[in-house]
Amino acid sequence: MLRYILKRLVISFFTVMVLVTVVFFLVRAMPGEPFLSDKLTPEIRENMVRYYGFDKPLYVQYFTYIKNLLRGDLGVSMHYHGIPVTQIIRDSFPYSASLGIRALIVAIFAGITLGVASALNRGRFLDYCCIIVAVLGVSLPDFVTGYLLQYVFSIKLKLLPIAMWRGFKYTVLPTFALSFYTTALLARITRASMLEVTNQDYIKVAKAKGLGVFQIVVRHELRNAILPVITILGPVTAAILTGTFIIESIYAIPGMGKFYVSGIQNLDYSQVLGLTLFYGIFIVIANFVVDILYGFVDPRIRADRRDAS
Amino acid sequence: MNKKIVMITTLLLCIFCVMASSASAAKTTLTFSMETEIPVLDPQRSNAAPSFTVIAHIFENLVRTSNGKTIPGAAERWETSEDGRTLTFHLRDMKWSDGKPVVAGDYEYAIKRLIDPATAAEYAFAAYYITGAQEYNTGKTTDPATVGVKAVDDKTLVITLKEPTPYFVGFLGHGVFAPARRDLVEKYGETYATDADKVVYNGPFVLKEWKHEETKVLAKNPDYWNASAIKLDSVEIMVISDTSTALSLYESGEFDVVDIPSNLFKTYQEEGKARLLFNGALDWMKFNLRENKDKPWLANKNFRLAVGWAINREAYTLAATKGLYVPALRFILPIVQGAEEQYGKEYPLDFYTPAGDAAKAKEYLGKALDELKLKASAITMEYLIQDQEETRLMAETLQQQIQAALGINFKIKLVTRAQRQQLEANGEFDTVYSGWMPDYDDPMSYEEIWITDVSHNSAKYSSPEYDGFVRGALIEPDARKRMDMIFGAEKQILEDAPLVPLQLRRKAWMSDEALNGFNRPLIGAEYDFAFAYFE
Repeated sequence: MLRYILKRLVISFFTVMVLVTVVFFLVRAMPGEPFLSDKLTPEIRENMVRYYGFDKPLYVQYFTYIKNLLRGDLGVSMHYHGIPVTQIIRDSFPYSASLGIRALIVAIFAGITLGVASALNRGRFLDYCCIIVAVLGVSLPDFVTGYLLQYVFSIKLKLLPIAMWRGFKYTVLPTFALSFYTTALLARITRASMLEVTNQDYIKVAKAKGLGVFQIVVRHELRNAILPVITILGPVTAAILTGTFIIESIYAIPGMGKFYVSGIQNLDYSQVLGLTLFYGIFIVIANFVVDILYGFVDPRIRADRRDAS
Repeated sequence: MNKKIVMITTLLLCIFCVMASSASAAKTTLTFSMETEIPVLDPQRSNAAPSFTVIAHIFENLVRTSNGKTIPGAAERWETSEDGRTLTFHLRDMKWSDGKPVVAGDYEYAIKRLIDPATAAEYAFAAYYITGAQEYNTGKTTDPATVGVKAVDDKTLVITLKEPTPYFVGFLGHGVFAPARRDLVEKYGETYATDADKVVYNGPFVLKEWKHEETKVLAKNPDYWNASAIKLDSVEIMVISDTSTALSLYESGEFDVVDIPSNLFKTYQEEGKARLLFNGALDWMKFNLRENKDKPWLANKNFRLAVGWAINREAYTLAATKGLYVPALRFILPIVQGAEEQYGKEYPLDFYTPAGDAAKAKEYLGKALDELKLKASAITMEYLIQDQEETRLMAETLQQQIQAALGINFKIKLVTRAQRQQLEANGEFDTVYSGWMPDYDDPMSYEEIWITDVSHNSAKYSSPEYDGFVRGALIEPDARKRMDMIFGAEKQILEDAPLVPLQLRRKAWMSDEALNGFNRPLIGAEYDFAFAYFE
């Protein structure tokens, strides 16, 4: 197991390095230049290019970036002058993560419950209700859900604050808005894999043995049906935790989402690179955790690994 | 029984008194939001309106701009020499928020820092009026002593200009000219002014709290020289990037001022709530006048005038912006400062008519086709725009109008903003949708960028008559004669038509009825609340 983890770590490191390299050159290949405001004269532009070291050959810039990166320095944002990218992440990530974890908890609970309930009631009224919710959740864009919840619960019913992030009640609407899509996604996947499992022989055996419904569902069906859910949980967690532009902007939450968008719009190289890297590392870690989780859920995978090591 | 009545009456009276007193005490906290976080607070490195808004309230420049007027700031008075080239400012007694005195050297340092190539300031050009400034900024000289700004003593600052520039004193109210303390800039280096405690203040307010991307709290500066004129105790500026969320927060009473999203402006206008202001932007279709063998019509004046007259600007602004933007019929925003009053009042001109003129357009096209020996259907013209919903809608409206009126092929080329800027700067376009926001309150801000071979002149427009007028105006000390030349240049460029004016941008906003003295300046800062108060 240890060797397996070590191997995964080494692969992860290379994955991240490849990511940095690709993104570094891709960002530079984006059309346009960072210093091209309508007001800029060529001489002033030259001063700025020199200031940020863009007058040096690209490979020199790349090695400087990698050298700084290995020291944990992601460079200084060009748009937010003088503010290190690490500080941007440090300031904004906690908001995104806090919102993301809440949304994730809601989504996992609600999604799996809905999926199970609808699979157990296949073809009945409850199933259709769940399917409608799931289809709505997957097809409604973020901004519709966001605005709709805000309109109904804040503006019309005045139950919850309209926006901003100043305490528990401020978190309720964005949490639900953000979790809606994931809830629906998880519900659909859970339902589908539950239905697949229900017809398996071992379930029939369990039923024939006279086990209780609860035991069959939780110990036998769900445990087998949960694998695909866990598979998508990795990327979903990374995406949901590292900030979502639309929900954060509707609810005025100072999270990380907007920095991706503003970074690309302003061609802020260091910001785009730093955030992509952070996101990349996050996905790598999330997938890593998922792999280990597999082992707990599915003994066969654990056994394979033992054999391999 | 009596006792009870007395008690209840007393209680009611008390409640009434409390309510009355709270109702009569006017609010002293102003709350509103801006769409983006201020990217930079360091005045010399700033380049965006949100930054300038905050800078204008936490620093005191030599002069202050209030409601379009230049009023004394840190300088209690100033003299202009007879040739108009030497400005002498006399500073008043002032303190920084850390207790140190504000001296003329802080202003000298700020200007030299602005043009120091190592600062890499985008707005360095603002100081190019000063002798030696451009040379120093562009590396032609490395000696800052050659720059015409000098603190003679702690209370006197002398600025020498290349040419008499009547609007320069007013321009000194711009955020980039805010004073800077050498000791702190050197102490904090790169991180100078990146947090509320990494800079000191001498303006009407101090920045008490700055939570990046969330909120800025400004508190009244008790040491401000004119503190008695400042009525607000604090100002909270939130960052709300979603305009409809900001509007909801305003409607629920949490904000005192809000910008109305352009798609909702009509509703609020009908309710009589929307206030409209020109934000200074004048948009145009710019032609590429470089020699182009494949598209010789672009360099043909009559062809360009035909396009100019083919546009029904009234219908265009209504269709594309529901009338939020208004037709631009000339080259200069009429509300900028003229010799004594607004330029548009002193020099009225409607070069184009709001509805355009199809007959005139045909006439010009006829002439152009004769000169070019071509048919209209052989003419193709590409219109470069940046991909935004509003911009696309405007371009499509233009396309319909121009194709219908002239029978030429009008193609739209969509690119990102960065690409549009690059292609425009490199001269890789037939026509491009762009425009200009003035940097200072004078028509010259629109005109100086169209002089032959100036770097902003990406159309490669070159007219000896136009250059003569503008260069004349640049050195003319007499205000009226100078304005006459500016007007001459305006008529010249409209007749030469390297650009076709399209629209003047307006912004819709509204504010709490009890709020007074809250202004929306044309230049630099977006909001001016220094002297604002609630009734």
